[in-house]
Amino acid sequence: MTDWLRPFLELRPEGLYSPAFDAYLDPAVPTRRAILSHAHSDHAVAGHEEIWATPETIRLYRRRNPEWSGAAEEIALGDHRERLGVLLGAFSSGHILGSAQWRFSNSDSSLLYTGDFKRRVGRTALPAQTPQARVLLTESTFGLPVFHFPAREVLEARIVEVCREAIAQGETPVLLAYALGKAQEVAAILSNARIPTVLHGAAWKLLAEYEAAGYSFPLSRAYESGPPRPGEALIAPPRCARTPMVQKLKKRRIVYLSGWAVRAASRADFDADVLVPFSDHADFPELLSHSAEVRPDRVLTHHGYARDFARILQGRGVDAQALAEVSERSAEDLD
Amino acid sequence: MTEYRLLAETLEAVAQSRGKLAKIARLAQTLRLLEGEELVLAARLLSGSPFAEWEETVTSAGWATVARAAAAVTGWDLDTLGACAVAIGDLGEAVSLLLPEAPALAEMTIGETDLLFRRLATLRKAIEKQALLDEVLRRSTPVEAKYFLKTLSGGLRIGADVTTVEEGVAQAFGADREAVARAHRDSGDIGQTARAAREGTLSQIGFRLFHPIGFMLASPIEDAEEVAQELPFFAVEDKFDGIRAHAHKEGGRVELFSRTLDSVTEQFPEIAASLALLPGSFLVDGEIVAWRAKPSEAETGKEGPDSFFKLQRRLGRKAPEPALLAEIPSAFIGYDCLYRNGEALFEMPWEDRRRSLEELGRVGLRVSEVFSVATSEQLEERFAAARERGNEGLVLKQRDSLYQAGKRGRAWRKWKKATATLDVVVTAVQQGNGKRAGMLSDYTFAVRSGDEFVNIGKAYSGLTDEEIRTMGAHFRKITTARYGPVRAVAPEVVLEVAFDTIQKSSRHKSGFALRFPRIARLRPDKGPADANTLDDVRALYARLTGSAAPSE
Repeated sequence: MTDWLRPFLELRPEGLYSPAFDAYLDPAVPTRRAILSHAHSDHAVAGHEEIWATPETIRLYRRRNPEWSGAAEEIALGDHRERLGVLLGAFSSGHILGSAQWRFSNSDSSLLYTGDFKRRVGRTALPAQTPQARVLLTESTFGLPVFHFPAREVLEARIVEVCREAIAQGETPVLLAYALGKAQEVAAILSNARIPTVLHGAAWKLLAEYEAAGYSFPLSRAYESGPPRPGEALIAPPRCARTPMVQKLKKRRIVYLSGWAVRAASRADFDADVLVPFSDHADFPELLSHSAEVRPDRVLTHHGYARDFARILQGRGVDAQALAEVSERSAEDLD
Repeated sequence: MTEYRLLAETLEAVAQSRGKLAKIARLAQTLRLLEGEELVLAARLLSGSPFAEWEETVTSAGWATVARAAAAVTGWDLDTLGACAVAIGDLGEAVSLLLPEAPALAEMTIGETDLLFRRLATLRKAIEKQALLDEVLRRSTPVEAKYFLKTLSGGLRIGADVTTVEEGVAQAFGADREAVARAHRDSGDIGQTARAAREGTLSQIGFRLFHPIGFMLASPIEDAEEVAQELPFFAVEDKFDGIRAHAHKEGGRVELFSRTLDSVTEQFPEIAASLALLPGSFLVDGEIVAWRAKPSEAETGKEGPDSFFKLQRRLGRKAPEPALLAEIPSAFIGYDCLYRNGEALFEMPWEDRRRSLEELGRVGLRVSEVFSVATSEQLEERFAAARERGNEGLVLKQRDSLYQAGKRGRAWRKWKKATATLDVVVTAVQQGNGKRAGMLSDYTFAVRSGDEFVNIGKAYSGLTDEEIRTMGAHFRKITTARYGPVRAVAPEVVLEVAFDTIQKSSRHKSGFALRFPRIARLRPDKGPADANTLDDVRALYARLTGSAAPSE
């Protein structure tokens, strides 16, 4: 199946490699040159000598890696670069601020690498685009039919309602959302509902980049300036659920915001009172519609339920394969 | 005629309620709406079992049978269905996420649901069960399917158990909690208990034999000093290294129930046969042990309980072959008497129950020996003597204490030699390498955390090849998904693992890892609910590493 990647990409030990640009695509280890889809640390590891990414992703990368002094090539969404007859185009993926899908193309063929994406429209990321490509290399984090999330408006209303209810009962809403992307998205939703928010340092630090990109958060402040007061909601990464930051709040209502929240078991995992399947990833129906609307001849799947999603696509008559033959999951992930 | 949906939605609301009190109140709210036979069925279904405990009926529908029916109804293939069940962690929950929200055309009433469960219990062929499940799922909304299948699999996992339902019953009908608990214990049926609570006839419920009853459990002590001041109030006996069991006997009928509330009568035919010869009816709490017969004159040693390792070979065999019966005979040692000739003794002080037990002792029941000790030095001597006899340690029982079924209190204490072991539940198995290539010899195991199991380690050996093969066959049956050489299995099998120490680790979900874990023994006498908890691990970690004990 890796020959489906040709002529644009090869699978090397470091990860996906583009011979034309002599660059790796979201490699898991530091490399000489990396093309990054977005600034989450599982896609953008520290220490590359050179990165190619959208201006927003580069700013976020610098903010997260202040020591970093490598070179950066900015490619704005809608823009492209050309080398050795291959065109590299940046398209919005709708995942977080600055996130891109990368399309490689020449006169014969084309390949779209989605990175992480979602098709529902958020408040703090540009809507995802649907460029056409002959080969689609799609993420499949939620590539099983149990992962279907309610409409965005329904989820937003649910988040706001839970916070208002908690505040009315004298409790601090604690919204578990990871620091880059979801925290700012939630802050924007609550800001719109006139609910003030207190952000964990990791999320607060990145807020400046969102403000530089034109978003504003008039009702947000840093946790550093003091724990939440009555009427304020706390936004913190899920790993903080069992730390003093959350646990010392005597009256609290913990809301877990993630696609994984469809699992009732995540209630116990995060000591959560409320589960809201609010995700920056495509759910199963979005994965299906994306893979249909890109109109590819072939689909490669990776991340998450890659093998299952490829099998499901095959069952629908799509020429699909998982990028890795072996499941990426180990016994530990069976939790 | 009330619909099953009321119960399913109640269970969903209970799952989402915060705290025990809110859960109890939610159960009470629904129970109050019901009466008569419907209330009987509803109380059972809300406690997670379609049947009364005394019925000893089980709806066995294998994972594959349920999965095939679900595949037919949802339109997904078995591979996808299996992957979904693993991703979600529960087959019923996964199926509910795959069914359309549209209201079912012919909703099931509570009465119909009861009949469907009963029908599932009587059907023998998998294909017939599958057809019935197919019908159930087609008639279900997602939430009904979820709780029907959860009930079928034997675990609701909503943070409420049958005692929560007892409290819900008490609150719904303004009945005394203790009276409800007693009626439930005596009748072996939360359903009839609920009805009696509504109708004000709890006191008319009498005790019936031959249904499993919760065991009174002892709190651990670390050393003799801990109880030094209270010693005059305690009777002391050896703690046997066997399987705790309740023996029920009336006429020629005997039933032995283990701590998992399962019948183990067929596994110990010689015990059943000998108890059947005793006069009258009784319920005796005691221990099944491997029995070392009196050796010949030439040999040394005494008759008495043998090691658990021997008894282990008798476990899990429905009908042991004569050769094994001869090689490893078993015996029952009684140490408490809860019912005798028509009279329930639970609410009598231990001393009075002991008198009834000793009467049985005089007509042939083997009973424990009881000691009195005055000082902690004497207790230490007793402890050393018990260990010398090959027993685990000591149990101390407050002489005036009542029998609190299913509760762990301070009226009973146990003193065991401190070893670093944990009772864990196997969550995944994997084929071994080298000599054990092809055998499922590597186990990933977990401890309890709320309703969940969180992995804490992986162990490679400690069992004999024969045990591994036997367990392997079982694990193949309870496999929920496969990933190359790894099989995820339903969390059912309990192991006792020994280890050197505990470390903090991000490798496992529990946040801890065991150093040099090895499987000490299988614990078929224990169910997943008896496994150690993450809090136990935290406490053990604090003790083993000398760091401050975390608050609980």
